[in-house]
Amino acid sequence: MTRTKIDVGFGDTRTTIEVDLPESEPRPWDARAELAVVGRELPRIDGALKVSGRARYTFDISLPRMLHAAVLRASLPAATIKSISLAKAEKRPGVVGVLALVKPGDRVLFAGQDVAAVAASRPELARDALAYVEVEYEAAPFVVDVVTAAKATAPRVHQGNVAERQTEGDEPGTGRGGTAEGNVRPMPVSQRGNVDAALKKAAVVHEAEYITQVQTHSALETHGIIVAWRGDDAMDVWCSTQGTFSVRDELAQIFGLDPRNVEVVSDYVGGGFGAKFGASAPGTRLGFVAGELARTTGRPVKLMCDRHEEQVCTGNRPDSFQRLRVGVDATGRLVGIHAKSLGTAGIGTGAGIGRNAFGVYTRCPNVRVEASDVFTNCGPATAMRAPGHPQGAFALELALDELAAKAKLDPLRLRIDHDEHPVRRWQAEEGAKRFGWTAARKRSADQRARNTRLRRGVGMAASIWGDFGRGGAAQVTCRIARDGRVTVENGVQDIGTGIGTVMAQVAAEVLLLDPRAITVRIGHTAYGPSVGSGGSTTTSSVTPAVRNAVEKAKIELIAVAAAQLGAKPSQVVWGAGGTVTTAAGKTLSFAALCKKLPAEEILATGSRARTYGHHPASFMGEPMQQIAGVQFAEVEVDTWTGVVRPVRVLAIHDAGRIMNRLTARSQVNGGIILGTSYALLEERVMDRDFGRMLNPNLESYKIAGPRDIPDIEVVLTDVYAGNNSTGAIGIGEPATIPTAAAIACAVFDALGVPVRSLPITPAKVLAALGKVPGKGTPT
Amino acid sequence: MASSTLTRRGLLRGVGTATVVTSCVRKPNDGKSDHPPITNVHTPAEIGPEPTSVSFTLDGKPAIVQVEPRVTLLEALRLDLDVTGPKLVCDRGACGACTVMVDGVPRNACMMLAHDVAGANVTTVAALGTPEALSELQAAFVRHDALQCGFCTSGMLVSCAALLQRRGPTRNKLTAEEVEDAIAGNLCRCGTYPHVVAAVLETAGAPPPTSRRGEA
Repeated sequence: MTRTKIDVGFGDTRTTIEVDLPESEPRPWDARAELAVVGRELPRIDGALKVSGRARYTFDISLPRMLHAAVLRASLPAATIKSISLAKAEKRPGVVGVLALVKPGDRVLFAGQDVAAVAASRPELARDALAYVEVEYEAAPFVVDVVTAAKATAPRVHQGNVAERQTEGDEPGTGRGGTAEGNVRPMPVSQRGNVDAALKKAAVVHEAEYITQVQTHSALETHGIIVAWRGDDAMDVWCSTQGTFSVRDELAQIFGLDPRNVEVVSDYVGGGFGAKFGASAPGTRLGFVAGELARTTGRPVKLMCDRHEEQVCTGNRPDSFQRLRVGVDATGRLVGIHAKSLGTAGIGTGAGIGRNAFGVYTRCPNVRVEASDVFTNCGPATAMRAPGHPQGAFALELALDELAAKAKLDPLRLRIDHDEHPVRRWQAEEGAKRFGWTAARKRSADQRARNTRLRRGVGMAASIWGDFGRGGAAQVTCRIARDGRVTVENGVQDIGTGIGTVMAQVAAEVLLLDPRAITVRIGHTAYGPSVGSGGSTTTSSVTPAVRNAVEKAKIELIAVAAAQLGAKPSQVVWGAGGTVTTAAGKTLSFAALCKKLPAEEILATGSRARTYGHHPASFMGEPMQQIAGVQFAEVEVDTWTGVVRPVRVLAIHDAGRIMNRLTARSQVNGGIILGTSYALLEERVMDRDFGRMLNPNLESYKIAGPRDIPDIEVVLTDVYAGNNSTGAIGIGEPATIPTAAAIACAVFDALGVPVRSLPITPAKVLAALGKVPGKGTPT
Repeated sequence: MASSTLTRRGLLRGVGTATVVTSCVRKPNDGKSDHPPITNVHTPAEIGPEPTSVSFTLDGKPAIVQVEPRVTLLEALRLDLDVTGPKLVCDRGACGACTVMVDGVPRNACMMLAHDVAGANVTTVAALGTPEALSELQAAFVRHDALQCGFCTSGMLVSCAALLQRRGPTRNKLTAEEVEDAIAGNLCRCGTYPHVVAAVLETAGAPPPTSRRGEA
């Protein structure tokens, strides 16, 4: 370890901190580093293949003799299997293999659970054959809504204890719930101070219930996998995944294989929002089904979920019923925040409400956040883009706005005064100016006073996330060949974030080459260990490993140059285009230098060091940076129809040193659009009488289209946190946390009454305005 | 094309697979039809359920494929012709990822049967340009980062190319709203819409969106 001084800071602030660097670590790109390629708006390097339809996703892969599998799913939400017979299905045209996934006596826990599978020569023949699987069920009582399920009299969903399923999509440090009582299973409580006592003494207290819905990931490419055995102890696998190695490990475990004998390819992934980890999905054993059918038939098997399956059994964001209590003292100081939530992750676990209530307004001395899973006979939830956070942010931020209104405080001031994160405070101040906050609030008040039909409103909410980048997890190889080709290799998958492009930029920066000249090889377990794309860790974990590998290769190149030019390595100057020069004026182009390599290739590997430090704020007391972000939203509400139109969103986020401003902006755009869709449109609807999802598709499960979204302005505030050799931090998740909250606050500003339930539909708006007889309060 | 609407798989789905399966007398599925290739949707023909040939023009080249009459255009393209630009996402005309042009009109390939395009001109994203020689529109998509995971991109591009074609010489008057209308049937989960609009307007030579959509 070497104690090294590095410059850190944000905006106009600069400080020097000391960090311990491993001996092999290059000097970090700190606040002083001026970079030519990293940070630039570089279009993604696989763009041409994607826009010409040539990029082959898992769904597009076809192998010789390949069979197509289809899975029969339970039609009842709770039942016991009496009998199952595949005899008739096996004889159907085109069917080559069948597989029972339940046996008599097994319990069905949700409608959509695996029952049986077939493999046939064409997908439609496989689906046809499913109609000939004979299953007898004995129906059992079930429950699909949280409120009923939480009652002592409700049917028990699980018999016995429930194992938590944690993936790389989950936020590190979460989980570890307690024992269930009935269907209710508490999660660890976060608290400081004494919130009950504080709220008893508070001058103004606001208390209300806030509800969020179940949201499905709805990645466009459904979950899918292709398994081709190589003999009986090895397999080749293609998978639409956020973690190539998680696929490998699950299959190796299921089939008792050496993980080295399982090669997983994921060249292109049609979207991943937290549900694509492992060879299977949370509610269906896709990896086992494809692998087992491939084993028994001796042919490659492809298993792609259809949209219905994707909606019911591949994960979702849990709902929440949150009781919030917040209070201020007579001077307007926030004295207590209490959030208590029940939510359902279906038959699974993880219906938390994130870190906002505990971690953002840290000047509030008394906080308690409690959440419990309530088991229901619904498909299991799993991590979804910032698990828990959008739910928690929505309830907290709207409750704070309601409290501010009651206590006659400025909601923006209330937030800034209680937030200790210097970057977020700065973002809020700057954002308010840029957004025209004060004038907009005045206009809302004026329209409310005049009781206009169309009302504008504005709201603001905060984002909190950590730099979860992992040391040593990614091993990157840099190859430099005699023909001058530079290749960087790592097994990481690109789910659409553009990690491959950023890898090229980092390599190009080190060698001062054109990033388009760098060959990037990713999406294959053979290319070396890497992280799953969850927790916004990919850029922070992989880019430092790329840099360190290329720096090592460069040292070797400089040694070759020194020998060629008759100088010491320290006298060789590396210049633009990779041209090397000595003090004596001797020079060698990059191409000429590579020709002199003693072996046909230089091969150097690099990994990321443990996070060195963090500045200016830590995440939840952990030794890692806390990422900051704020979003301001403006809406227009039609008080006659109840329709909410998102007008504009200003998003100000930091993600350490931005690696590529174009792709980073796309991430933020995406977070806002997903958040807007969550705020106004999306909702899984369960039929209480039959226990099935009523909208398992993309026409009645609404996701935002091009006319449903606000104008988006993105401001990326570089923060030099001193965390790793590139300074990168992820942005995928923090960008979606505050959007729904900000929109809900804006609706409250427009109407003067809150809509405390997502999605904010016209019906809920009209009810809140007292325009639905028997519902809500009149204005 | 009036008769083709009656044979759409959508109708079969509405009736329910079980009813269809039980009400049809199925011949062995791998049997070959001796029916000559269907080259025109107006040809009187009684075919099926066994695979029967249908011919059409695909990305400028003649294509012939032998499929059951119930097979959708999308499945015929992807499974039988290995043309995988058009994607299967919702399988019921809600998302537009399978959009192709049929005689110049953008259509959801999942909502048509392969036999519906007998004799027609089918254009997929592959015909717009190759990775080595991208069309102006494709290049603008890349420049504006109008794609992230890329799974909606093929359909999005076909809808936008059809819009530009439709507008011809008046394309430079296009507005952001018109582009949004053209892609209203194309869903994207990553959040590329603003960049798609910017890419199309730039290609059209129209003024950029007036609202603030980029990084300040």
